[in-house]
Amino acid sequence: MEHVTFQVERGTIFTILGGSGCGKSSLLRYLIGLEQPGAGRIDIDGVGEPHRYEGVPPFGVLFQSGALFSSMTLAENLALPLSAWTPVRGPTARELVHSKLDLVGLGAFGEHLPGEISGGMKKRAGIARALMLEPNLLFFDEPSAGLDPISAIELDQLIITLSRDLGITIVIVTHELPSIFLVADYCIVLDKAAKGIVARGDPRKLRDASEIPFVHNFFTRSSPTASTKSGRVSQWPSRKATRDLASSS
Amino acid sequence: MSVTVRVDREGDHASLAPTGPFDLAHATAVSRAVEASEARLSGCVLIDVDLAQLDRIDGAGAVLLARLLDRLDAEGRAGCVVKGDNLEAARLIALYRERRVDRPAPQTLPMSPLARIGAFASELPGKANEALDFCGRCGVALPKTAASPSSVDWRSLPRLMQEIGADALLVTSAANLLVGIIIAFLGVSQLGRFGAVAYVPELVVVAHLRELGPLVTAIVVAGRSGAGLASEIATMKVSEEIDALRSMGFDPVRWLVVPRCLALAITLPLLTWVGDALALIGGLVATSVIAHITTRAYIQATVNAITVEHFLAGLVKSPFLGLAIGLIACGQGLLARGGAAAVGARTTTAVVLAIFSVIVMSALFTFFFALMGI
Repeated sequence: MEHVTFQVERGTIFTILGGSGCGKSSLLRYLIGLEQPGAGRIDIDGVGEPHRYEGVPPFGVLFQSGALFSSMTLAENLALPLSAWTPVRGPTARELVHSKLDLVGLGAFGEHLPGEISGGMKKRAGIARALMLEPNLLFFDEPSAGLDPISAIELDQLIITLSRDLGITIVIVTHELPSIFLVADYCIVLDKAAKGIVARGDPRKLRDASEIPFVHNFFTRSSPTASTKSGRVSQWPSRKATRDLASSS
Repeated sequence: MSVTVRVDREGDHASLAPTGPFDLAHATAVSRAVEASEARLSGCVLIDVDLAQLDRIDGAGAVLLARLLDRLDAEGRAGCVVKGDNLEAARLIALYRERRVDRPAPQTLPMSPLARIGAFASELPGKANEALDFCGRCGVALPKTAASPSSVDWRSLPRLMQEIGADALLVTSAANLLVGIIIAFLGVSQLGRFGAVAYVPELVVVAHLRELGPLVTAIVVAGRSGAGLASEIATMKVSEEIDALRSMGFDPVRWLVVPRCLALAITLPLLTWVGDALALIGGLVATSVIAHITTRAYIQATVNAITVEHFLAGLVKSPFLGLAIGLIACGQGLLARGGAAAVGARTTTAVVLAIFSVIVMSALFTFFFALMGI
């Protein structure tokens, strides 16, 4: 990647899109400080350059598999960042852990091991762990990957809830079009051939109006759109409808 | 700014005013302040929580206030949030109250030592059953392998022999060389008291070729390759690769276990043979250095001491020891369930069982040879 410049507005859901091998995951690793880019600069408000940051992690990360520690129960997984970075112990820590499990709908599964729950539940537990240090910024790596459609929609609803009710800024790396259209406020599209960003904006507008062939193909290749005389008509539910669904749940 | 919850009472009506930073960094102080304020609410039935003076709030602070309101509700008292201008705090508290799930009290009764012994004993038949089941499946796999050679991953055999045999040569050779030196040192120090240093070469030959050569080599291979095989197969099990093999019609025992056991049964005698040679060299070096015996005399005595019985008594054991290591390592790997922790646990168990079993088998062979007069 050579041409990647973007800014994420506070409180929005921002998605990084692109086909396989375009550098999405590498970009995420730079953003969360696991690797340092060869050139350029990343500046996260209040953090500075993430790879230089030391101390309490200022953002949470949900890895693709959930990345829960298999030898620990869900509650122990969640308690880990608390014990590492805060003096909170005992009943208060347990209360905070269970409140986060409740928040993601896993209140009854605190004593379960990760091996005993489904893939979607593992991802939700991963989100709960990422929330333990009360970050204002969350990064998600392919959150819907490997999930059945119902679990994927539930996860999307949870992401919308986190953004709307907790005011958390969310950055998602994904290529799951249904998720993108449901949750994203803004997106950038990476292209391997262009070595960088080829389009940016509201994903629904890009799908319906982009003149760039790569972007048009990217959004319509697997999108259930129907062509009419008046233009392409989306069959995805609207963002408002999804948010209404999330609030009703 | 300090964290406090001010309580103003007027008859059965109380007003709580949280002040200061109600966030994760101050969660312990918030918890104490909330508990202290709760203790002063006895007799109050109407309780307002005024959020106007909150300096800061995040999820942690909101949870602790939400749980206070939950407890008040549970006691039949009317807790009410006065939002003031702090809509964010009110929204957070409402969110954590909405999402709360009642949990049954955790059962944390510790097991008594007697109960642990009982639990362990009750698991033994199941474990024995699993081991017998695995041995039975391996026994059934052999004739099936002969009938259908393509059901075995023969292409992996050279790689496995390289990893289990050639890559382990250095460490097994070093171990055997040192054991030869140790036997020679002991022989010189003990037999020398009776003027019988001339018998040291025979001691090294008999002790190492018959017993210690196969045993030391097998223990090193059990620790090295046994752990590797167990963790490899356990990882395949927990990552559903074994299930994938089954779903494609492969028998994991024939596809995975047979080539690994075969590689061990072939390479262990070779490693033992090289180890025997190095142990004899170690004995020669040690004896030459500390005893007045010439190299020529030592070699002559060694050659005279080596018999077909001594040589074969050791080498005959090796394939069986290799087979035991392979079966235990692969069997433990296939029993793995769960995640990364299960891989580690099964690997540890495999190494311990493999080392113990090669010692037991070696002893049984010695007992059998003694009975047969070999």
